[in-house]
Amino acid sequence: MSWMNKKFFSFIIVIALLIIVFVQSALTGSIQVTQFELIRGLLTGTDDNVAIIKDLRLPRILIAVVAGAALSVAGVLLQAVMRNPLADPGIIGVSAGASFMSIVLVAFFPTLFFFVPLFAFIGGAIAFLLVYSLSWKSGLDPLRMILIGIAINALFTGLSQAIGFSGGGLTQSMSQVTTSNLTMKKWDDVHVIALYGSIGIVLSFFVFKWCNYLALEDKTAKSLGVNVNLARFVIALIAVLLASVATAIAGMFAFVGLLVPHIGRTLVGNDHKVLIPFSALAGALLILLADTLGRVLIAPNEIPASIIVAVIGGPFLIFMLRKSDRIYGY
Amino acid sequence: MDIKDVTFSYDKKSTILHGIDSSIETGKVTTIIGPNGCGKSTLLGVLSNHYNPQSGEVVLDGKALTDFKPKELAKRLAVVHQQNNAPSDMTVEKLTAYGRIPYKSLFSSSTKEDEEAVEWALASTNLLDKRKSPIDQLSGGQLQRVWIAMALTQQTPYLFLDEPTTYLDIYYQYELLDLVRSLNKQHGISIVMVLHDINQAIRYSDTIIAMKDGKIAAKGAPDDIITAESIKAIYGVDVIVKHDEQAGMYIVPVGI
Repeated sequence: MSWMNKKFFSFIIVIALLIIVFVQSALTGSIQVTQFELIRGLLTGTDDNVAIIKDLRLPRILIAVVAGAALSVAGVLLQAVMRNPLADPGIIGVSAGASFMSIVLVAFFPTLFFFVPLFAFIGGAIAFLLVYSLSWKSGLDPLRMILIGIAINALFTGLSQAIGFSGGGLTQSMSQVTTSNLTMKKWDDVHVIALYGSIGIVLSFFVFKWCNYLALEDKTAKSLGVNVNLARFVIALIAVLLASVATAIAGMFAFVGLLVPHIGRTLVGNDHKVLIPFSALAGALLILLADTLGRVLIAPNEIPASIIVAVIGGPFLIFMLRKSDRIYGY
Repeated sequence: MDIKDVTFSYDKKSTILHGIDSSIETGKVTTIIGPNGCGKSTLLGVLSNHYNPQSGEVVLDGKALTDFKPKELAKRLAVVHQQNNAPSDMTVEKLTAYGRIPYKSLFSSSTKEDEEAVEWALASTNLLDKRKSPIDQLSGGQLQRVWIAMALTQQTPYLFLDEPTTYLDIYYQYELLDLVRSLNKQHGISIVMVLHDINQAIRYSDTIIAMKDGKIAAKGAPDDIITAESIKAIYGVDVIVKHDEQAGMYIVPVGI
């Protein structure tokens, strides 16, 4: 059973790469330590260099890992809900909606900064509901959905920029929410994204059967006694939670939710039981790798991780598409 | 199964079904025929609870269809739809096992009964040697049998098929109809299907329901209701009705 091996090896390779990149990312940068020093420093707390790494570098590594996993799983879930392989939180406006509400909160009620994830979730949910309801016409037309998604995305991105231009002194605090730069992240940020991100990812493991059933025609799923509307609602809610919290903490990352699930489908297939955990791991690897490269390539300057994702992700997606003619599985 | 004064429309402008009153006999093969747009697929949709009638009701085992919980109904009534879709890398066996959804919660794993049902369905549809194949490696006829296998796995007394022979060549059409007949004869499953081909309907049905303009134009055994006059009235086509010792009754269209 060669495909069995392919799935297994794909998991092993992604996990191994994730560990390697994680360790390398912690060791590399303006302050260099060895593995031994790092472990000893973390355990004893006596090494000043390691203390700096712990305060500055570890949070951003962990945030990259969780954000990558969250955005990728959000992509898988949205693709299942919308029966559309092009659905991606960054493309159909969910991230833009989340980002917009975060900006509104930070710009006008800066003291409520703690509630950014909640507002991001509301913004993402509004954007999703708009896209979903506007593209529903006795069924979901994939093309109409993408076009309406792009329009909603443009709307919220525009609104965010409008606030940015009118804000004057607000711009400084806002850029923290909007840019996909993972610099200046604190342990507080890690706690928020780790909490909501892991809730979302764990929940997504419980709905993998529903995701599979939605790949059937709606009529067929209903004939099997599946409550299609409830399944859609719950899966969408989890997807919006994941995309929103990732956007609120790590910023806008277009493309991840599209790219990672596509790679996942070619490597491990369309069964969500395998696709969801694989996408979580591969997404974590992608953003962590992008952020690490962005940090070291032109040191002491930095390239934002989202730009690196686009540059390595684009050609890789084309490569995978050329290699396999049955990526979509629909 | 009783159909009581069912009226249905997709929107307020035009009514598709006008006060349909009829019944489906248990243990028989019932075929709905009629010209395009006569409401035959819509009637099948109402009978399988995909569409809720504006007035009237469909009663199954003494209970209105709309009062069934989705899974409860899916244990009594399985539907093979005209259009179907599944991920191309899915295996025949896994797709067939979806028929067990009505018997399970979201978190329960597969039981011995589930496996036996899948085994039986694959054997009945002659797919045992294809069980590990991904569905994109199947022919059209094999794929259609997988959808039937999935419906059989639901182990329902009623099986509905919406134009099951569409897109199939003549060999697979008759292979499928023979399969449907054997499911009825050997396992006593009540069959309700929509067919386009009148001769296939005559050959494979105990009862034919002929529809025109959202109403039942004729209902009965093929021998009783298929006449040159009735076909002219329903389809507007001139036919000669023939009886042959080997072929039984059949019609030959000769013009309009």
